[in-house]
Amino acid sequence: MGLWEAFLNWLRSLFFKQEMELSLIGLQNAGKTSLVNVVATGGYSEDMIPTVGFNMRKVTKGNVTIKLWDLGGQPRFRSMWERYCRAVSAIVYVVDAADPDNLSISRSELHDLLSKPSLSGIPLLVLGNKIDKSGALTKQALTDQMDLTSITDREVCCFMISCKNSTNIDSVIDWLVKHSKSKS
Amino acid sequence: MLGHNSQSEYSPFLGIEKGAVLQEARVFNDPQLDARRCSQVITKLLYLLNQGETFTKIEATEVFFAVTKLFQSRDIGLRRMVYLMIKELSPSADEVIIVTSSLMKDMNSRTDMYRANAIRVLCRITDGTLLTQIERYLKQAIVDKNPVVASAALVSGIHILQTNPEIVKRWSNEVQEAVQSRAALVQFHALALLHQIRQNDRLAVSKLVTSLTRGTVRSPLAQCLLIRYTSQVIRESGNNTQTGDRPFYDYLESCLRHKSEMVIFEAARAITELNSVTTRELTPAITVLQLFLSSSKPVLRFAAVRTLNKVAMTHPMAVTNCNIDMESLISDQNRSIATLAITTLLKTGNESSVDRLMKQITNFMSDIADEFKIVVVDAIRSLCLKFPLKYRSLMNFLSNILREEGGFDYKKAIVDSIVILIRDIPDAKESGLLHLCEFIEDCEFTYLSTQILHFLGVEGPKTSDPSKYIRYIYNRVHLENATVRASAVSTLAKFGAAVDSLKPRIFVLLRRCLFDSDDEVRDRATLYLNTLGGDGAVVETDKDVKDFLFGYFDIPLVNLETSLKNYEPSEEPFDINSVPKEVKSQPLAEKKAPGKKPTGLGAPPSGPPSTEDAYERLLSSIPEFANFGKLFKSSPPVELTEAETEYAVNVVKHIFDRHVVFQYNCTNTIPEQLLENVTVIVDASEAEEFSEVLSKPLRSLPYDSPGQTFVAFEKPEGLPTVGKFSNVLKFIVKEVDPSTGEAEDDGVEDEYQLEDLDVVSADYILKVGVSNFRNAWENMDPESERVDEYGLGPRESLAEAVNTVINLLGMQPCEGTEVVPPNSRSHQCLLSGVFIGNVKVLVRLSFGVDGAKDVAMKLAVRSEDESVSDTIHEIVASG
Repeated sequence: MGLWEAFLNWLRSLFFKQEMELSLIGLQNAGKTSLVNVVATGGYSEDMIPTVGFNMRKVTKGNVTIKLWDLGGQPRFRSMWERYCRAVSAIVYVVDAADPDNLSISRSELHDLLSKPSLSGIPLLVLGNKIDKSGALTKQALTDQMDLTSITDREVCCFMISCKNSTNIDSVIDWLVKHSKSKS
Repeated sequence: MLGHNSQSEYSPFLGIEKGAVLQEARVFNDPQLDARRCSQVITKLLYLLNQGETFTKIEATEVFFAVTKLFQSRDIGLRRMVYLMIKELSPSADEVIIVTSSLMKDMNSRTDMYRANAIRVLCRITDGTLLTQIERYLKQAIVDKNPVVASAALVSGIHILQTNPEIVKRWSNEVQEAVQSRAALVQFHALALLHQIRQNDRLAVSKLVTSLTRGTVRSPLAQCLLIRYTSQVIRESGNNTQTGDRPFYDYLESCLRHKSEMVIFEAARAITELNSVTTRELTPAITVLQLFLSSSKPVLRFAAVRTLNKVAMTHPMAVTNCNIDMESLISDQNRSIATLAITTLLKTGNESSVDRLMKQITNFMSDIADEFKIVVVDAIRSLCLKFPLKYRSLMNFLSNILREEGGFDYKKAIVDSIVILIRDIPDAKESGLLHLCEFIEDCEFTYLSTQILHFLGVEGPKTSDPSKYIRYIYNRVHLENATVRASAVSTLAKFGAAVDSLKPRIFVLLRRCLFDSDDEVRDRATLYLNTLGGDGAVVETDKDVKDFLFGYFDIPLVNLETSLKNYEPSEEPFDINSVPKEVKSQPLAEKKAPGKKPTGLGAPPSGPPSTEDAYERLLSSIPEFANFGKLFKSSPPVELTEAETEYAVNVVKHIFDRHVVFQYNCTNTIPEQLLENVTVIVDASEAEEFSEVLSKPLRSLPYDSPGQTFVAFEKPEGLPTVGKFSNVLKFIVKEVDPSTGEAEDDGVEDEYQLEDLDVVSADYILKVGVSNFRNAWENMDPESERVDEYGLGPRESLAEAVNTVINLLGMQPCEGTEVVPPNSRSHQCLLSGVFIGNVKVLVRLSFGVDGAKDVAMKLAVRSEDESVSDTIHEIVASG
């Protein structure tokens, strides 16, 4: 890349839009694709089909353009998550807070992923979804069960959200926008 | 100036190299994508792949995942390259699935280019379960108003039909709608798919052709397809109408007046390939082909002359009208056209024009490629057989070109032709053999040298002066490699054995060979010196020795190889008579009827080689059958029940010298029943010469696990006794509780009627092929020959008649003579086999058919036992 181009990019970032890239992962049926829809359009739909592979979405919030890699959560895709997390601004990990049976799998998948050297230092945002359901975990319980306190090599944050009722979606977007700035 | 030249030939791909391109592919991961740059890199990658460069698994995976990230770009050109790259890399199924969702999104995009290409890629990578999810979209795409999208869906349908036919079959309505499309491409693809969907249903294909030939097909390509399907329907329908009018002929003829040359040619070719086409039908097709001969387009000239060349084989008179046009093509710039023209002329020409044509051929032989030279050689061979009087000039031509440069296939074609001419034209023998002798004096192909030496050994001693060949043969011992030397030794021995006066001289030569440097050559020389008598006296050679030298080898090499592999070194010498002679036929890939259950041991043949051995092992394990001797033949299983009945039974007939054993393979298909004491009661009242000796019941037959019961009969020794048997399955049935799987204690006796079973003559004949029928035939005693003629009455076709007789006799067709060329009026078929009692039988069948489809047959039989020759005639007479 020529100097001139680099200069242009710098100029662009200064005056125009900021860009950030996110990977959205988590077990199947955690609500990743729903979250994308809520963030992008504000719409929510009950009947979703499982994502086979990935969805690529670009969302503009304020002066930030967010590239979202929404990845499938079925076991056959989990080995490929890492490829789409390299060099992103942040990893967003969605957990179904109302499904305690799968929490331990979710935890080990997360810790497996974070142990990859290519992803070291990338900020992590854990989202406990479906708090509209009865029996959903509290933030503290989720933090404990996901063993988030043991992650010390990067910035970690946790929110409890509901895509259905759009609870806490704003704080998620705020957090993301803030991290796009800190990254550049 | 020079610099300018090299500049203009500059290729953008000059000197690109895999490692560097893979480095460049990192741009796919840039946060700010440069679409143009990415497209260029993909182009380079595709170029490398198309040049045969291979990527390692890791490289391919890296590139693939990097490419998937390009789905973020909205650049249409780049997306197209992404599709191509995914298809070209074709990563493993567990990786490629990652793009599924993105492709499904593109498939419903508003951009036509996205839709069309996404459909093609998705169908390429998809599996059955996913297919049901996207089926709805594919159906819509078929009737999409954009032709590119519709074509993509239709072509994908053609591919998917191979793996998931039941899904594609549901699209019939949409495909039918697409056939009416105004877009040429869509109509073409839709017609192809519609035909494939229906191809196994004759009636449906016939209906399709009937409705479309009324004229709604506009696309020339689709029209060509329709012509092909029409000829298929014509072929399969046969000539049902007694008036002689062929269905759909009018349609084909009307296509000859189409405005597209492609359609005209397709129709003309279809007409020439009709079964037993008449001159009246042929004429209009020949007329348009004649016009094409003088076309300015080389491809039309080529197509026309090639088709006429084929027509000339069956209807030479019909082509003679075109002779003038074809003569002018001899000097055509395109050598392929010229060659075909001249060989066609050779086929249609008369005796007087042969010399003139030969002169013209000689002029351009050196200009054409080997494969066309072979065409010329073949044409000359058939010409020579047609006009035997002209053999001298034709043989000269062949010997001349034999001396010139040429590759193996070309030389082999010439040698084969000379050999055939020597066999069929007695006058040509001596000169032909000398030409071959001269050829091996300077022949670079070991294979041809050994073949010629073998041939000399058989034919040379029968000539008027055998001694003149000896010098050529003995020269080989001095000048050639070990393989050729060894076969020269064998040939010398044959001369010694066949010509008693030459024997002393041959001995001198063979003794010299004892000092050869090669083991095989020395071994052969020693062997022949001993078998021929050793002392070199002028004595008559034993019959045994002649058999050994000239006899033919009648054991299939595959069987010999298996037996030798199984032989364990021991005191007992290897016995060549223990090698099975049965040719293991490759069963035709059957179309499996859906839902048909495997019924019993014999029903699903678990690989052809094992069944025979399996039977032998099974029978020898049953003590009751131990004294029956060696198993002669086992028939393929014959079904005695309809498919999907309560009890499925099929039977295998095992033939012994004095016994016949029926092996009934039974399957119980009712889960709630357990059968016990299962036997088959056989009524042999219509098989008087058979008497039942024992019946071996099956103790228990649980649900879905096949079992066997046997019935054995005694029959007159060594005779092909035939008979009809009726069978009843008898058993005790016990109810089974499906939940526990336990049977009740009390059972009820019951019977089940099975279909009748015939023991036919073919059961007594083994399919045993011979490698050289002519030799085998001549080695058989002519006294044993029985000839008679039979009228087979009106038949569907000559091929059908030939097949019926082959099946009736159950013998092995030799030298591919079971195949009847289309449109032939006569056919010769050669069969060989071994009759019960190990009697070799050879059969020569000559068929002829007249205008009313009446087939006549001449049957000549030779066998080692005259009575067997008579028996074969009895079989045919009663069949």
